[in-house]
Amino acid sequence: MTTATITTIRPKGPLTEIQFCAWVAQAMPGDRLEYHRGFLVLDTFHGLSKLGDNERNELRLLGTRAFWTEAQGLVHLVQERLGPDLFSYLAIARPKTRSSADAVTQLAALAA
Amino acid sequence: MPPKLSAADVVTLIDEANRAARRLHRKLHLPPADLEDLSQDLLLDLICRLPGFDARRGSIGAFANIVLRNQSSRIAMQIQRERRAQDGWMFSLDAPMAGSREPLKNLLLEEDALASWYGQRPFGIDMHHDRLATNCVLARLRDDERQLCRALSQFTASDLVAGSVFKRSSLYRRIAALRPVLTAYGLGPCWDDFGTP
Repeated sequence: MTTATITTIRPKGPLTEIQFCAWVAQAMPGDRLEYHRGFLVLDTFHGLSKLGDNERNELRLLGTRAFWTEAQGLVHLVQERLGPDLFSYLAIARPKTRSSADAVTQLAALAA
Repeated sequence: MPPKLSAADVVTLIDEANRAARRLHRKLHLPPADLEDLSQDLLLDLICRLPGFDARRGSIGAFANIVLRNQSSRIAMQIQRERRAQDGWMFSLDAPMAGSREPLKNLLLEEDALASWYGQRPFGIDMHHDRLATNCVLARLRDDERQLCRALSQFTASDLVAGSVFKRSSLYRRIAALRPVLTAYGLGPCWDDFGTP
């Protein structure tokens, strides 16, 4: 019986949209990334969020991009409740789709 | 005998040297990385000439100003001489090469880039990886995005704007929107590049 250790990457600072995409590109299936901690809907809502305009806009782009990657079949999106109004938003990398897998196979053949 | 300097005098010397370096740097249109060197060269020369300072003839700031001005002139003349010896001046990558309408940046090969000068040759495996990633992402792009990529592979952004194919703002907005998509499929900065463990 084999056991797998799942570790979640928790960036020290706020993540940007492009950083999130870079993680998606290199993540192995099962890799987990905490892309936000808080209450995403409220944190991106003008008037309720404690974030500044730029940070709030960056977080909105990040949230939208996370949904996009989920729709593209690149990641699963889940939430873990940490406390009242406090969630850990996680992206879990999915196995590469057919064409991506083909690309990796070709790459391995070239490297050999 | 070197004069005794107070902490305030030292601060004055450093400030004057930095100011003179910035002035010279701006006038000679030097690269940003040269500013620090200029500043240190000027300060070193100033320190070497400090034994000639006579407090009865003026303040330390005035002395520094005269010494720095003279040394700045010498450095400027030296740089001009070097440029003449190299038969040319520094020019922009956007400037067209002699006998060509293409700007220099469009004619430079990857092997001519700065990284190659320092021995970092592009590896074949990286190129194959990029090619496969490109195939993957092209298969997933929308038609309009694919057409934009094709146009950008053949023409520069400036050419597309000049040819009225796109409005400048629209073009850069679409490129900005495309960047995360390409990155998510492996054509962009790596996760490690951001230093986010």
